[in-house]
Parts: sequence; structure tokens; C-alpha cells
Amino acid sequence: MPQLTIDGQLVEVPEGTSVLEAARHAGITIPTLCHRPGKPPLTSCFVCVVRVNGGARLLPSCATPVAEGMVVESETPEVHAARRTALELLLGDHLGDCVGPCQSTCPAHMDIPRMIRQIAAGQVREALITVKERIALPAVLGRICPELCEKACRRGQADAPVSICLLKRHVADLDLASGDPYRPECAPPSGKRVAIVGAGPAGLAAAYYLAQAGHACTLFDEHPLPGGMLQYGVPEALLPRDLLQAEIHLILRLGVEFQGGVRLGESLSLEELRARHDAVLIATGPTAPEAVRALGLEPGRQGIQVDRHTLATTLPGVYAAGAAVLPSRHAVRAVGDGRTAARAIHHYLSGSPEPARDRPFTVQMGRLQADELAPFLANASPEPRVSPTAEAAPPAPQEWGEPDPVAPPASGGLGGLSPDQAVRESRRCLHCDCHKQETCALRLHAIAYGARPNEYRGERRDYRVEQTHPETVYEPGKCIACGVCVQIATEAREELGLTFIGRGLNVRVAVPLNEALRQGLRRVALACADACPTAALRRKDDGPTPAPGEDTSRREG
Amino acid sequence: MAQGSETGGAGTSARVDLTFVDRLVAELGRTPDQAIPILQAIQREYRYLPEEALAHVCRISAITPADLYGVATFYSQFRLRPAGRHTICVCHGTACHVKGAGLIQEALERHLGLPPGEDTDADGRFTVQKVACLGCCTLAPVVQIDGITYGHLAPDGVPKVIDDFLRLERQGYASPPSHSPQTRGGLTEPAVLPEVRVGVGSCCIAGGSQEVRRSLEQAVRELDAPVVVKPVGCVGMCHQTPLVEVVQGGKQTALYARVAPHDADAIVRRHFRPRGLLRTARSAILGALDRLLTDEASTPVTRYAIDVRDAPVCAFLGRQTRIATEYCGSLSPVDLEEYLAHQGFVALRQALRQASPEELIATVTRAGLRGRGGAGFPTGKKWAVVRAAAGETKYVVLNGDEGDPGAFMDRMILESYPYRVLEGMALAAYAVGAREGILYIRAEYPLAVERMREAIRRCEEAGFLGDQILGSDFSLRLRVMEGAGAFVCGEETALLESIEGRRGSPRLRPPYPAEKGLWGQPTCINNVETYAMVPWLVRHGAEQFARLGTATSKGTKVFALTGKVARGGLIEVPMGITIREIVEEIGGGIAGGRTFKAVQIGGPAGGCLPAALADTPVDYEALASAGAIMGSGGLVVMDDRDCMVEIARYFLEFTQGQSCGKCTFCRLGTRRMLEILERLCAGQGKPGDLEKLEQLAGQVKQGSLCGLGHTAPNPVLTTLRYFRAEYEAHLEGHCPAGRCKALIRYHVDEQCTGCTKCAQACPVDAIPLTPYQRHVIDAEKCTRCDVCRGICPAEAISVISK
Repeated sequence: MPQLTIDGQLVEVPEGTSVLEAARHAGITIPTLCHRPGKPPLTSCFVCVVRVNGGARLLPSCATPVAEGMVVESETPEVHAARRTALELLLGDHLGDCVGPCQSTCPAHMDIPRMIRQIAAGQVREALITVKERIALPAVLGRICPELCEKACRRGQADAPVSICLLKRHVADLDLASGDPYRPECAPPSGKRVAIVGAGPAGLAAAYYLAQAGHACTLFDEHPLPGGMLQYGVPEALLPRDLLQAEIHLILRLGVEFQGGVRLGESLSLEELRARHDAVLIATGPTAPEAVRALGLEPGRQGIQVDRHTLATTLPGVYAAGAAVLPSRHAVRAVGDGRTAARAIHHYLSGSPEPARDRPFTVQMGRLQADELAPFLANASPEPRVSPTAEAAPPAPQEWGEPDPVAPPASGGLGGLSPDQAVRESRRCLHCDCHKQETCALRLHAIAYGARPNEYRGERRDYRVEQTHPETVYEPGKCIACGVCVQIATEAREELGLTFIGRGLNVRVAVPLNEALRQGLRRVALACADACPTAALRRKDDGPTPAPGEDTSRREG
Repeated sequence: MAQGSETGGAGTSARVDLTFVDRLVAELGRTPDQAIPILQAIQREYRYLPEEALAHVCRISAITPADLYGVATFYSQFRLRPAGRHTICVCHGTACHVKGAGLIQEALERHLGLPPGEDTDADGRFTVQKVACLGCCTLAPVVQIDGITYGHLAPDGVPKVIDDFLRLERQGYASPPSHSPQTRGGLTEPAVLPEVRVGVGSCCIAGGSQEVRRSLEQAVRELDAPVVVKPVGCVGMCHQTPLVEVVQGGKQTALYARVAPHDADAIVRRHFRPRGLLRTARSAILGALDRLLTDEASTPVTRYAIDVRDAPVCAFLGRQTRIATEYCGSLSPVDLEEYLAHQGFVALRQALRQASPEELIATVTRAGLRGRGGAGFPTGKKWAVVRAAAGETKYVVLNGDEGDPGAFMDRMILESYPYRVLEGMALAAYAVGAREGILYIRAEYPLAVERMREAIRRCEEAGFLGDQILGSDFSLRLRVMEGAGAFVCGEETALLESIEGRRGSPRLRPPYPAEKGLWGQPTCINNVETYAMVPWLVRHGAEQFARLGTATSKGTKVFALTGKVARGGLIEVPMGITIREIVEEIGGGIAGGRTFKAVQIGGPAGGCLPAALADTPVDYEALASAGAIMGSGGLVVMDDRDCMVEIARYFLEFTQGQSCGKCTFCRLGTRRMLEILERLCAGQGKPGDLEKLEQLAGQVKQGSLCGLGHTAPNPVLTTLRYFRAEYEAHLEGHCPAGRCKALIRYHVDEQCTGCTKCAQACPVDAIPLTPYQRHVIDAEKCTRCDVCRGICPAEAISVISK
């Protein structure tokens, strides 16, 4: 049996084994998009490249047989860079949206399509959890959010966007009124203490997520009550204070302390805070450069200078978020920022490496042409956008089963959606997000290798979708021409099968003789869909959880 | 599902005769490897591939729809939608490109009123196709309409070309004259008879040599002189085509260049007397045979005699050494007798009688012969591997898929020395133990295909091929397979895929074809020129061959010398000669008094070397260390008006269009590189573009399966290495060479007499008609088509940087 070295590890595998397989034996997973174990290698994706014996070329490990004394480099910066470029090249020619445009646009990156599917499926509590994964104050934001997501909603191109903000408010209001509002699990206490200066939306959000991670948080604020601008800036008519109180309470009850009447730089110095806490988050709202310097921090262009991804300031353990970094009137951005800072602080405190970016990885196909939009519309409810009415108020709030109940918001129900309206509205969603976003190998490898989706973006293809096959859906724009489905169809001796047509950049997988997909794939369509490394070919019932199952309009006739 | 635009509208015709398809398949065979020949035959019949015909082929043969359709959409020869009645091929080879092929293409599209994205005019009369290279680089820029070649074109001459073609059509000119190899009137003529030799290589034919030959034959008939008009292979002086040489025993040989048909009579009469003195000479009035002329606006073709002792001709021919092109200009290509009279098949006879296969391989190894296709792998070593490989059946394959734009060495060798190539293949087959072989020749070389087929037939008749060759127990069957238009098939594993009837996607090596090649059997694949070297090498011995050249590069190399050089053509030079010697001595320096800027060597896989490196010798290693490659032999000379960024863009456009599309880096990486280059040429470069280009080039080079992707970045990398300042200038919006359209404008200076010629000729009305006033060009309307500059009698129009 040949012996070889992979990244310095000695491996012994039988003659004829590929380097890819041999690496697996050594516990090294080499990524691949076009290779199926035990099948002849297709050598198309070039994501599995390795360097062999210091050669000038990088070889596809799936097709390189091991040899005695071979020296393979797999996990080196140079090999990784090549894999990343291969992924970036594929992403640049991959037409789709991993996550919906609504989610990409939302400053807090809330998984809106999932929330909507959950509402459509009647899973209100699950929908609330989806919202609260990203938005700590959903009932509040359901009233004052600038609805950036709705501006990006593709449904808006056809008639009017899905009423996302009201849907979110709907689940949040129902939760508050339920008498048993959602209380996230908190990790066991970490023993770490975090000071959060400023109890506005950014600080509150950070406290919410840090508390869940088991860190002891104290919110300091110059005002007597928490809420910042929400409490002292937003008109009462827009945001009833009892509702704000209620939602803040849900954060404080996770063990977050609040100290009012404390002003940073006056009654409280940053030095003291740093001495008494393991980390400090500054979420004080707009801060003038002199004030920034007075704190011993570097001023940035508009506020405190921070690392774009981690929000870390120039002082170790000190972070900044919200308007303290970049003045903004959008509470939703502050809430998103608070979560980002919380993640970074958690990683800092637990000594783990830098967290992956908070923003979900996605390719984006941008605005659709009218004919491109049509297949999306065909699968959604044709009803117009529902308008909220006074009668649509949620059911009367109930007693909370909490030790320290706060009066449920009495004034918060007006202008919301009724449960029936919410379900109807949720069916208007076009579900632009990718049905295989959780399983797509291209996306998973891209995330793992830090591939940038727009690094090598090419000319946009036209979006097309073939839905006439009874079991599968084909989106050629997502095809990376790996050849797996062609190979499966050929192995199965499909009568027409699939073939590559064209050459070079225009190479596409198609059924020969311009026949429809249902003619080409009569036997192995599902096998092809399951093997497809992207969502180019997918099962009709593939989809992010929950499947838009209640949505019968999406079932093909 | 995928409705590719190229498939739209096809197959609705009810006129498809399926019995024709039946007959065809019955004749060619039902096996998968017949896919390409079957498609070629269908396309010959219908001018495109009707869908019913394809579906019927799948019904009656063993070819699957997936394979057939995959093949039909892979090769550029095949069309899936109907074509116009006439096909205009616009050559975009390197030589044509640097001489303005793009402007010709635009002028044609404008003149025919082609809608954007369409290649056929509304009446279905003309289909305009870009072709990679027609191989008449010395006539650049060239277009071919149904086989009629128009050379030395200018954009304003396009309407005249179309008119001329339509006139010929009305006069009953139906299709191009048959390229059927013709031989002189009987092999019985004694060899001592004087000869009038006329070149019949493609360049000469494109230059009009068939007409000249007919005129010469007529003149000889009328004079009844004891003279033979003999078609001969390429002389290599393609810049002087058509060439006629008069050879008389004991007399000085006379060479005539650029001969027109009406010159024939005078040439014959000058050298020869009638057989019967009483015979009255009739003046030959020759008809309208000038169909191969350049358009009327260009310089008329003039005749002038050149003496071989003239310095330029001596320089052109004198520095050359003939091995692959031995007896250049004196052999009638398909005349077997004559090949035999010039030591033809001596090497094969010698080897079969006196040498074992192992000894033959040892000779080739000792001679130091390396593959002439580009990579330079030692030929003897390859043969030894094939010989040693286990396998009952072994093959020899000729790689005649020469596809580099700007290169036509292999075409010339195949057309002019078909027997030499066959003898080389036979020697290889004997050495490696093959009994069967295939000559894969690109379809764009119809003359080469016909001559090789004819040569094989004659060799079989005469016992040089077939069973028990020359009385030995060595047998060899050879056949020709035509390529279908895919540059990547020049890559040996893609070529094998193509022979087996599939899309030309390369296979991963190892295993190398020498061990596992055609149909999985050991296969010896060599380039045309490599095989053509072998007979000489065997006849003269390894030592004499090895005496030529450098330490690691032995023998000679054939180059197609084109571009801005004064004397372009086909040359064979000893290895070790410097680029400067080639350009300045053989090529006569730069044409038109411009400055020598760079030489592109090795085609799309090669690199651009600056004039400063002109002393680099022709040597595999020396060229590689300079960033270029020996390549197959394209040598395009560039002057100060050639833009290096644009040249890099040109080559990358070519290779990315020829990528088979399998590997990520090649399919997408070359495209993204091209987009950066396009941005630069359009003056829209972004900061960081050069770094990104360089980085991507490096990764494409590293991460490609086959030679195409591996070498595609070379033209970019060498220009970045030697001409970085030019790239930086483009980033700032300047094209120092004044070539990139978006970065230049046309300017009328005070020399203008206000003659209005430019205003009348401007196809987009960018010049107001202002008689007796200095004309002004509207830069917004101007498309930089160059018509005005060409037409201005006062030379008042110039290109200036924006």
C-alpha cells in the first residue's frame, strides 16, 4: 500500500485511492462540488485542488491517484486561496438569492421568509423565535421600523410589498398578549461581566443576546428609565410606553441589571468600567469626536472608530455600537448592531476566534425583469396587500405567569393584523430565498472558505426556471456545470437524459433536442436533484424549514 | 429546458429528407465515433443541422441524443439554425486582427444591415461568420465569401467586395473551384523538360494562383512549347503570392512574384519558343478571372520579376534550412513519383530493412528531436513509452488541428509535403508497433484534407501503406478525420475525445496517451511538423540533425512569419537563430518604416517579447524563461502602433471563446480576465484591476486541467511583465499606441483641402459636408471605423489620443 504525506501527516491507503479519499482517512476534509464517492471523477469544479510534490500546478485531488512517497499540501494558505477563488468564480456566475432580498436589506438580517412561512403554517411561536433571533424588540420595531425590507420586497414590483413589518408586529403582539411570552434559554453563567453604556435599542439588544450567552450584564444610562431614544425621543402616539416597558422587561428579566442616572465620562469613567468588567460596550448614541477622544478612543469618520465586522474599538475589550458609531435614526440598525457587538464580545470573552460575519452569506440577483418575476408570482397568492384596521386588534392581553409581571400593553393593538389577515398576507410572499440555502454545498464551502460572492461577478444571466417536471424544479442560472446530473442520467441510461450544450462560458446542462426536463429525466430526477451541489436542480418539496407546506398555491398542477 | 439562442428557430423545415440521413448513416456507420462525420455530412447538405435530422440519426444509430446534441453544440463548425445562401467568413487571425479585421467585420455588418446579435441579413442572403484563422495571413485582412478570397481589404472597400461577389454570382459563378488535387498531364513527361512552377499552397491559391496556372497552361498549349506547367507546394514567400518560377536546365532560374493571369502569356513567351516555328502565336485574351483580386480600391496586383540573386530574396531564403520543407517550391504536392525521385520513402525502406524499432527510436532520441506542437516533449522518449506500453493494439495519430490564429505551418506542410508526413507517420508506427493510425486535420483546411486523402490512396496503391509495406511484415492503415472547429482539440486528450466522437473536453493526464490513449490503447500522437522531420532525420542520421540548433533544441523549426514585417511567409530556420535575425534579415524588418515593438511568439499560449529581447534565440528553454513558448510556430511581428493591452485582450478573447467550459478556472477565470482587459481598453479600468488581473492569471494558470487553460494567461502575463507602463496608461485613459477605439479620436488637420471625400464616405455622417472648408469630425457620432483616414487624399486625418 502506498504511503504518502498530507500536510505532514503520514497516510497509508490502498493503491488506486484518490488523494481526496486519502485525505479523508487522515481526517482532512477536502471540499468538492463535482465528485461523488466511488464514481469516475468529473474534474470540473476545481474546488478540491491540492499541491502535489511542490509542483507548479494545482491538481484536482478527486482525480489524482495516490503514489508512494507523494507529498500533498491541502490546508495551506495558497491552496485555500485557490479554492476560494474557484468558489468565488462559481458564485460570480451563480444566479439566485441565497437569502431573500428582504433579509439582505434588513439591517438586522432577520430571516423574514422563514418567519412568513411559519406564520403561513400557523406556527406563531416559532415565527416569534425566528424574529427574536435577530430583533430583540420586535413589538417596538413593528411600530417604528422604516420598513427597509419592504422596499426590497419583490412583490412590490408587481403590486405592493408583503406587509413584513406588520407581520412581525403581529407575532410580537400575540406573544406579549399571550400571558406566557417567549423566554429564551440562557447558558449557565460564564462568570464574565459586561458593562453596557446606553440602554437604547443597541444596548438593550446587546444585553438580550449577551445574557443568553451566560454573561452578567449591567446597563448604564444617564436617564432614569431604560429605552434611550425609544423612551425619550419617539412620540408616545407612535410607540405606547407601556408596550416599550413590556418588551424591555422581557430583556431585563433574563438577569440584566439597569442603573439609571449614570453618565459616562462624568459620574463614570471608562477606566473604572474596564477595571470592574471583562468587556465594555459603548452604545451611548451620537458622540462628538472630542468626547470620543476624552474617553481615550479613536474617533472615526462620524463616531467612534471600530472594526467594521466586530465593532471592536481600538481599546481591547471595548466595543461600540449603534449611533455611537454611525448616527442613524433607524432603531432597527441599532438593534442589529447590538446583536453583532454581543456576538463579538461573546467570542472575545470565551476566547474563541473571530466570529463569522453576522450578515448571512448570500449571492444576489438584483432586480428582476417582468418576465423573470412571473414564475415567482405564479406561486403566490394573488390577493392585494391587506390593510390593517382598528378591528384587527389582537386579542385582549392576559395575565402573565411571571413573578414580577408588568402590565401588559393596553394600547398596543391598534392598527395591527388579525390572525386571519396575517395568514392571508403571508401567502403573498414570493419566497425569493433559496430552497436549498441550508444544504447548498456551494454556499457551505463558500462560507467555510470566506469566499466573497461579488469578487468575480460577471454579466448577469437571464433568470429562467423550468417547473414542468413533476418532481423537480430546474433553475439553469444556478447551475455550476459540474456534470453530476449528466453523469447520473447517463449511468441510468435515461433515454434522452441530459447533456452539456454549448462551449466555454455558455456551457449549460440541458435535455438534448430541446426537449422538456420531464422527457429527459424520467427515472432519476430525484437522484439528480439530491446530488446537485446547488439548488439548480431541486426537489419540488426541497425548502427551508418549514416548507411552505400550507401554501397550496405553490403546489404544481 | 435551456433554449440556447443558437438553437432557436431550427428544425421547423419540412424539407428534411430522412432517406438522405438513412443513406448517410448506412454509409458512414452507426457507431458513436461517427457522430462528427455524420453531422458534417448533414450540414454539407442543409447548411445547418435540422433537428429532425438529428433526431433521426439517434433513432437509427448507436449514438445517444445526449452525445449527438452535446457534440453538435460544441464544435463551431455546426449550426443549429438555417444559414444565409452565402457565407462570408471574416478572418480574425492575429495577422488579420492587427491589420484591422474588426473594422472589416463592422463594415460588413453595417453594409449588410445585420441586426445586433444576428449573423444573417434579413433577406437570408449572407451569413457573416467570424473565423479564427483562414491561414492566408500574408493577405491580411482577409474575408472569404463561399470560398472566394478577398485580401488586403479596407473598411471602405467592403461594398465593392459584396458587389463584386454578386456580379460573379450573376455571371454564373456558383461555388469555389474544386480544390481537387491536380497533377501535371502525365507522369511520362521526361524530368529534363523545362518547368514553369506555380505555387498551389493555400496562400498562393488565395492570391489567385489557380487562375494563373490555368492561364499558364493555356499559354503553353497555345505556344505548343515543350514545357511543363507544374503545381508546386508552398515556397514560403507568401508575401509575394502568386509565385511562378521558370526552371530550365542550364539557365538561370527566373522567379516571378505577384503574377496575374494576364501575365502568363508574357512569361511563357519570354522563356520559350513554339515547337513548330510556323505556328502563329495568338494573343491570349483572358476573361474575367480576376476574382481573387483584392478589392478595386486597393493597389492593383502588379507583376514584377524578382531575381533570386536579389538581396531581399536571398535574405528571405538564404537564412533558411529545409528539413520539414525540403525541396521547397519544387515538389508537386501529390505526385508520388516525384516524391520518390526526391528521396521519398528512402528512410522508411532503410528502417524496415536495416533497423529494429528500438534502433529507430534510439536514432530519434539521439537526434534530440522534440515535439513541434508546442510543449517540446522529446519525441524518442514518447515513442519508447508507447512501444513499451502493454497493449495488443496501438495507434499513431497525427495532430493536424493547428488552430493558433496567425499560424499556418502545418497547413502548408500537409498541403505541400503530404508524403513526407505519411512517411514520418509510418516510421513512427513501425517504431511504436502501431498498425493503425488517424490523421486529425482541422476542417478549415480543406485542401490539406483532400491532399492527404489522395496521398494515402496513392501510397496504398503503391505499397507504401497498407499490408506488408515494401515487402516487410509491417502493415499500416491510415485514415483522415476532419475536425469540426474547436481549438481545444489541438490538446491531445481533447483530440482523442473528438476522434472517439465526443465533445472535445480534455482528459486528466496521467495517464498519458502514450500509455492509455485512443480507445484506451497506447497511442503515439505527434504534431505534423514533428512527423515531417523524421524522414530527413533517419536518412541523414541523428548526428547530422543534432548538429543543427542549440544544446537542448535540435534541428529546425518552421514559423509562420506575419504581422508588420516587410516580408511575411513560411520559413524554416535552424534552432538557435535569434528573433532579431528572423525579423530583420528574413522578414526585412518592419514594413512602412515603423518601429519594431514586439513579437508575439507561440500564439494564444505564448507571449509577447519586447524588441529589447529580440536577441533571444529560438530555443525551447530560452523562450520559456523569457515568458513565451516555442509554440507551434506563429510569429507575429508588431510595430509601435500595436497596443499591447489590446493584443493581450485579443488573445484572451480567443482562448476564452475556445475554452471547452469544463474547468471552473478556465471557463470563468479567463472570462473575468477578459472583462478586466476590455475595461482597460475602453478606458474604464478601476484601481486594483492590474493586481486582480495578475492574481487571477496566476490562479488560472495553476488551476487548469489542460494546456489551454494552463497557458491562456501567458499573453497577459508577458505583456504585464514587459509593457506594464502601457497598462498603467490605459488605467489613466490613454492608449499610447493609438489603437483602442474608446481612447482615441480622429482629427482633421490644416492639410485638409475641403474635398468632402471623407464626408461622403463616412458611414455614420459624423463629418458635415462642407466644401472648401476644413472638415470637422463629430467625435460623438464617430465610430472610429478608419474609413475617412483611408480615403483622405491629403493625408489630413490622423488618430490622436483622447
